[in-house]
Amino acid sequence: MEQLVNLNEFVSFRQRILSEKKFLNGKITLTVSAGTCGQASGANDVIRIIKKYILKRSLQERIALKITGCQGFCEMEPFVLVEPGLHLYPKIHPDNIPRIVDAELNGHVDEGLLYKDPIALKTYTNQEEIPFFKKQNRLVLKMNQEIDPIRILDYIEVGGYSALEKVLQKSDPDWLISEIKASGLRGRGGAGFPTGRKWELARKFSLKARQSYIVCNADEGDPGAYMDRSLLEGNPHRIIEGMLIAGIAIGAKNGIIYVRSEYPLAIKHTMIALHQAEDSGLLGKNILNTGYDFEIQIVRGAGAFVCGEETALIRSIEGYRGEPRQRPPYPIEKGIDGFPTCINNVETLANVSIIINMGAEKYAQIGIPGNTGTKIFSLVGKIKNTGLVEVPLGTKINEVVYNIGGGAPGNSKVKAVQTGGPSGGCIPVSMFELPIDYESLNKVGSIMGSGGMIVMDENTCMVDVAKYFMKFLKEESCGKCFTCRKGTQRLYELLDDITRGTATMGHLDLLEELAIVVRDTSMCGLGQSAANPILSTMKYFRNEYEQHILNKKCDAFVCSNLVGAPCQSACPLGTEAWKYIAHIARGEYEEAYITIREANPFPSVCARVCDHPCEVKCKSGTSGGEAIAVRALKRFITDRTDPSIYKPKREYSKYKKDKVAVIGSGPAGLTAAHYLSLKGYKVSIFEAENNYGGMLTCAIPTYRLPKEVILAEISSILDDNISITCNTALGRDISVDGLLADGYSAVLLALGAHKSRPLEIENENVPGVLPSIEFLKSFNMKGQSQAKGRVGVIGGGNSAIDAARVALRQRDVQNVTILYRRTKEEMPAFAEEIEAAEQEGIEIKTLVTPLKISTSNGKLSGICCIKNELGDVDSSGRRKPVAIPGTEFALEFDTLIVAISEDSGKEVISAIHQSGIETKDNNTIKADPRTLQTSMKGVFAAGDVITGPNTVIQAIATGKRAALMIDRYLSGVPLEQPIEAKLPKDYIEPLEKTPEEDETSKRIETMRAAAEWRIRNFSEVEVSLSAEEAFREASRCLRCDLEFTTPKVCTKSEVREVMVNA
Amino acid sequence: MLNFLLNGLEVQVENGTTILEAARFYGFPIPTLCFMDGLSPYGACRLCVVEVADASGRTKLVSSCTYPVEEGLRVRTASARVVHARKMVIELLLATCPQSKIIQDLASAHNVRQQRFKQEYEDCILCGLCVRMCEEQMMAKAIGFANRGERRTIGTPFDLKSEECRTCGGCIYVCPACQLRCSFTNTESAICGGCANLAPPCIESHVFDDMMCYMEPCVACEIDKVINK
Repeated sequence: MEQLVNLNEFVSFRQRILSEKKFLNGKITLTVSAGTCGQASGANDVIRIIKKYILKRSLQERIALKITGCQGFCEMEPFVLVEPGLHLYPKIHPDNIPRIVDAELNGHVDEGLLYKDPIALKTYTNQEEIPFFKKQNRLVLKMNQEIDPIRILDYIEVGGYSALEKVLQKSDPDWLISEIKASGLRGRGGAGFPTGRKWELARKFSLKARQSYIVCNADEGDPGAYMDRSLLEGNPHRIIEGMLIAGIAIGAKNGIIYVRSEYPLAIKHTMIALHQAEDSGLLGKNILNTGYDFEIQIVRGAGAFVCGEETALIRSIEGYRGEPRQRPPYPIEKGIDGFPTCINNVETLANVSIIINMGAEKYAQIGIPGNTGTKIFSLVGKIKNTGLVEVPLGTKINEVVYNIGGGAPGNSKVKAVQTGGPSGGCIPVSMFELPIDYESLNKVGSIMGSGGMIVMDENTCMVDVAKYFMKFLKEESCGKCFTCRKGTQRLYELLDDITRGTATMGHLDLLEELAIVVRDTSMCGLGQSAANPILSTMKYFRNEYEQHILNKKCDAFVCSNLVGAPCQSACPLGTEAWKYIAHIARGEYEEAYITIREANPFPSVCARVCDHPCEVKCKSGTSGGEAIAVRALKRFITDRTDPSIYKPKREYSKYKKDKVAVIGSGPAGLTAAHYLSLKGYKVSIFEAENNYGGMLTCAIPTYRLPKEVILAEISSILDDNISITCNTALGRDISVDGLLADGYSAVLLALGAHKSRPLEIENENVPGVLPSIEFLKSFNMKGQSQAKGRVGVIGGGNSAIDAARVALRQRDVQNVTILYRRTKEEMPAFAEEIEAAEQEGIEIKTLVTPLKISTSNGKLSGICCIKNELGDVDSSGRRKPVAIPGTEFALEFDTLIVAISEDSGKEVISAIHQSGIETKDNNTIKADPRTLQTSMKGVFAAGDVITGPNTVIQAIATGKRAALMIDRYLSGVPLEQPIEAKLPKDYIEPLEKTPEEDETSKRIETMRAAAEWRIRNFSEVEVSLSAEEAFREASRCLRCDLEFTTPKVCTKSEVREVMVNA
Repeated sequence: MLNFLLNGLEVQVENGTTILEAARFYGFPIPTLCFMDGLSPYGACRLCVVEVADASGRTKLVSSCTYPVEEGLRVRTASARVVHARKMVIELLLATCPQSKIIQDLASAHNVRQQRFKQEYEDCILCGLCVRMCEEQMMAKAIGFANRGERRTIGTPFDLKSEECRTCGGCIYVCPACQLRCSFTNTESAICGGCANLAPPCIESHVFDDMMCYMEPCVACEIDKVINK
């Protein structure tokens, strides 16, 4: 390009370019985003294949290719954006490129490859309609998709350098500064100092000085933030234009772009852009004959985080160690080599030309007063749509995380968002209504920072997050201030102790004390904000810290020294799942059975109906693969092993004289009785129903859990110490006081939750409407089939599915429909149960709420419902179902089963309350979560009666603990015990794997009986694994335990023996 | 001349004076480790922090050795916040470099009786006095800082023998950490003997509070062992 010598020439040149552009409009252009992120995802291959295909078919005249910088939608890289229709083809495979080109040439779109919304499954033809883009205001970023960053003509074509033209024509620095002031632009680097005021001060000092500088701070070091890189890579001319205007405004002649060496592409593009600007006469001496001089040079930083701090940055530019110094004097007065230096962030400078083009007044209308304009955030972490998001300041966090970001991936819930990088803080989900502006973020203990936004879900441990940032800071502190260097190191040590479970509550106090001192006494921003990650997580997630210290638990399963093997620590009983899986792989089935049985007195029951938290937390699953089928392996072992091989340890030697009464013979009561009997106590169980087993026998259908299995399991744990009295109900036949008076030293309340909760709508008590537990009980215990004709089931939990599947198997039933108010993903029932129900032909209607039960002749005739849609996200992180007015509809039913929830029933609970035991409003008993003792001494509670409806494994776990606590109570020792993390102890030698075995590591599919056959009877649906299948599944285990166990060291004599034998 | 408020006193200093200089001139003691007359102030040890308030009444802690006095500034050299911060700094110093007599005396003077961190025995607190001594007074520039964060050290370039160094010993002379080292178990060369005169603290823990020594294992016990051998 020829050098432009004066302003008029420049103006006419720009006009020519703009008018030429109009001819080109309408040509099909494939745009490929090839910033650093795009290239890493394979954009270069895409570009290569497109070029090849165009040449092969000689389409140069009809199709153009444009290579741009990052366009922001990094999750979907590499993608092709086809102009002028803005068709977005995400995550493109090079093989599909001919398909796209051909379709576009014929004026079509390729529907199959277009962007699809993962939830609504809607296909979007226009990029701007996609929720991710639609809800943004891409004032700065938009241009990234329109231009090739290394072509100055592209920039001019879309209106680039028009702001410079305007500024040069006006040639009035005071007007310029007043314009920036009026726009309300604030520094986008983090602190938010008004840019206009900074320029005004800079002008004041620079007019007095011999020389002055303007520095573009592109030393972007926050983990997770990359908007500055994307701007420099994707649109370097806009930064140059911004710097030129800033130079004119403050009267500086030297510009420096300080960019880190880790950004090679940004440096390359900026260098090219600088050369182009110089060649065309926009930089250098006497620019366009207007009398202004301005030169820009690039200084590469070596990548120290602290060099983003302005005084350290200046030292670094001067060639010294990047160490901050005391302010005042501020750089604006004494900066590089003592000359006035105005330092602005990349994004701030990118906004300058927009303000000039748009007019300050119009710009000031974007955002909220005091926080005008837009801000780019890099949305990363546990979020569906990772990428750069530009929204007006004052937008709510909710909007960014859910509506633009799409929420957390998978089924997990967002817990918090971390803004501002290592210097920022965490904002919990309960505060997501907060507008994103400088002041609001400061108020809650975080900062805007450069705009990193790291989303965290429930699999993120907040202590670990604080530890991560502290590790970063202790390495990146310059080390000059003693408190920052040693303080961050000591803070890290304290956090490390907490995550290892070796900390005390004293650690927490010291942590807070030290964090505040580090914040107070450090010299620069790094140290002053170093405490933010700790202080904000301690403020909002103190319970997580306490959980680590007091209960030695990491609920997110992150801190490995507390978690051990996730399967073991996820199990409420602490079953060593890794151990029996290892035994299965080695073919040691008896050892495997003993391992299971040692922890769990109901192995066969749990092998069928457990909700397997072990599989949810299994590392094979959470690290991207599929979880080990732990429950199926347990079933494999329990099916083929004789329970009698396990001989429980009895403490008969010291026969106890105390008698214990257990009320309820469900899993909790029986477990407690079993362990108390092993300790030598005489136990009397009182059961209200005519048979024992609790929910296991009366509610869980036999196709899931056959009667014989329960009976065999129960009879194996009953012994001479245990007696059961059926048909004896608390409140009716016995009372707590009475039992204590009868000579029982302790009473365990394990009544379960046997009353279905009512819907509380009109006509609920007409014949034909059945509570689910009553319906299941009358079938399981008495053999009565109450369901007839068309059956409706209301609810989404396991008892709803059970009721539906039992009804389907009853003789007079035509069809079954389940009604649930949220979506299928949010149903609390087990996924495999929902799937099985659907296979059997049960219809599941979601997003409906029942309004009224309709009757005819005093009997049920149907139900009136209303449709829901998912509304805003509530504080639990789930979208609330909101009724859509005018969508009422009626359904006809002959039987309606209500299965929304259960509790222990008002009558029983009030009887307990009258004995002087504290109860809660939701019909449960209040008991200490650690000791299970109720408000009355000697009276304990376990199972659903304290938690509300819960899983079998939880009931067994509380029963087991209750037995331990009752024993401690009767032995006169304190109930509370020191808690230790459950870590794997025994070493089991792993089998060597062959490479092929590693490759075929798919989860085993448990066989089910065919749906057409099984709906006609009550035989068990799931089929046990074969030995070969079990071996294959067991050898998939990652063996997390090996990190904690060591092989037994052989003694010398043993080694000698082995050698002799060999 | 600048007018400002120092601990409530209206005082006047010359332009360019630091808060530390002003406070010392007016007789307010401020403890320091990395400050020395004749060397440029550096602001590394953070012991000399004072609380300053700007016009809006917002206060912050700044290192007085590097902060120039401004017109109308309000300064408190020993507010509760300052004292609390100083004590924590001393606690951190004790946890790092417990043998230094200077640090022990500082702790004693500020009534810091224990430190709650994992005990380290380092020889250097990176105050940078030696580096400035070498550069500014000895004109040698033989030593300087290397690395950053927790790996920061002081040494010659690449830790090789320096040709610039004239082995003048100036660096050792100014060092607060190694100039006076407590050689507690060697009673002959012990510096103060303060700890040797104490009863073993593990027996009479209430006496432990008066100790000036922060060694682990318990110093008085160690000495007791040596003496009674």
